[in-house]
Amino acid sequence: MSSSKRSTIIVEHLRKQQMREAISRSKRLDGRDLDEMRTLEIELGIIGKADGSSRVRLGNSEVVAGVKVETGTPFEGLENKGALILSAEVLPIASPYVEPGPPDEETIELARVVDRGVRESEMVDLDKLALIPGKVVYTIFVDCSIINYDGNLFDASSYAVVSALMSSKLPVFEVQDGEAVVNTGKKMDPPLTTIPVSITAVKIGDSVILDPTAEEEACMDARITITTNSEGKFAALQKGSTGSFTIDQIKKAAEIARIKGEEVRTKIKELTSNGH
Amino acid sequence: MQEIKRKYVVPGDRIVDGNFRPLSNVTKSGNSIFATRIGIAEATRDGIKVIPLSGVYIPRVNDVVIGKIIDHSSLSWQVDIRSCFSAHLPAQDVFGRDFSPARDDMNKQLAIGDLVTARIMAFDRTRDPMLTIQDKDLGKIPRGEFLKISATRVPRLIGKRGSMIQTIEQATQTRILIGQNGIVVVAGRSAEGTQLAIRAIRMVEEEAHTSNLTQRIKTLLNVPEPESTETISEQASPEGQKLEGSSSSIPEAEEQVQEEELEKGDKE
Repeated sequence: MSSSKRSTIIVEHLRKQQMREAISRSKRLDGRDLDEMRTLEIELGIIGKADGSSRVRLGNSEVVAGVKVETGTPFEGLENKGALILSAEVLPIASPYVEPGPPDEETIELARVVDRGVRESEMVDLDKLALIPGKVVYTIFVDCSIINYDGNLFDASSYAVVSALMSSKLPVFEVQDGEAVVNTGKKMDPPLTTIPVSITAVKIGDSVILDPTAEEEACMDARITITTNSEGKFAALQKGSTGSFTIDQIKKAAEIARIKGEEVRTKIKELTSNGH
Repeated sequence: MQEIKRKYVVPGDRIVDGNFRPLSNVTKSGNSIFATRIGIAEATRDGIKVIPLSGVYIPRVNDVVIGKIIDHSSLSWQVDIRSCFSAHLPAQDVFGRDFSPARDDMNKQLAIGDLVTARIMAFDRTRDPMLTIQDKDLGKIPRGEFLKISATRVPRLIGKRGSMIQTIEQATQTRILIGQNGIVVVAGRSAEGTQLAIRAIRMVEEEAHTSNLTQRIKTLLNVPEPESTETISEQASPEGQKLEGSSSSIPEAEEQVQEEELEKGDKE
């Protein structure tokens, strides 16, 4: 178990004071408005041997995601569905506070939250990815590597996974004689149904701010990540940290997640269509 | 002896051949002296050295630094001084000789996240830097806005005999604390003055290696200048003086500035 956690970043008391004062004036230390996201950049196809890949920069946070498709046995109880396996790893080069070794609980939570957004929005139509029901199905691995940490890894990783999936080309497998599965060498688009977008809001003092930096995350009281699908419906939600939100704050965060989510979705669409 | 021009160097650049003594940030190999950091190579009476333009803070005994308390054991605080070395401040230094870990609550004096101004009491290659706050103007910093600049810019921010920092302090009505490790705390009467001081400090950081910086800072701060204003506005325009060639010699116009910088570096 790695001893060092990203939440161990210690922010100076004076800096905290500065941050709270700025937020009470509806401004943030980096000059952003409370509900302003950092610049989102997406690069596609950066890993030659992957079936789909992307590099996402959200401010100074940087995530690389890769998609690899193979065949495998289905999960128990989901015999007629393809398998989707999502993982995340924060590399030691990402921050001085990250140590090599097995993932800590924050990283496990990161992988689970990103996975939940993609899975619960049913972005990938897994029903179309069964080859021999109960025996062989498509298995999609999506791996995220965080290569620079400056807060809001939930959203950065989520955008990386979504854009990697959107730009991926799956190998076409065929069933021969009812039992043998062969790779035809052809490629196909993945069966995607929607574009999930996660928006993370954190509470500092009495204000709710979007897209926190590492410094802001170190000062936050509570965190909430809300994922919406292309229709603006809520697909997943995760509350983190020890503090609490009022009902009004949750409603506001949900509303912002819908509005900002649509903005980000348009941006992801635009960036993925350009690069592909 | 061979005449050596001041020049910009990167690690591995051969500065000079001959029988010179290697001083700081250089290494001697055979009959040549090579740079080990990015900076300005300089020949002094004592030997060859490089004034670094980038890099982390390397502690030196008697430096005054600003550090952040990040942890404590039963006998000392651990202080982050933005270096590759982690400093410690003994509890006895704060509580006195009769300090007792059972009786005295260290958190009450200095809590995690507090900033302190401290002097480096001892440091050598066998142990991490040890700090003291027992001196005038040292101790916990209660208020102010703080910012971080590169430690290599500190001499430039202070200026020749403190000229730069005095200019900024007077023009913005602020009090500015500078640690040799590049942490700066600005305390001012008004928010506007503080923000202006921060802008000036950022400008010094970004343009530390260019000439006529004091003039441009004065223009930024609207300090009345007895000289003709034309010269100032001319100098205020960016002239592309940024470091480009790795080993180009420095134009004469910049010499004076570099001298100031070097002198300051010597004094520290």
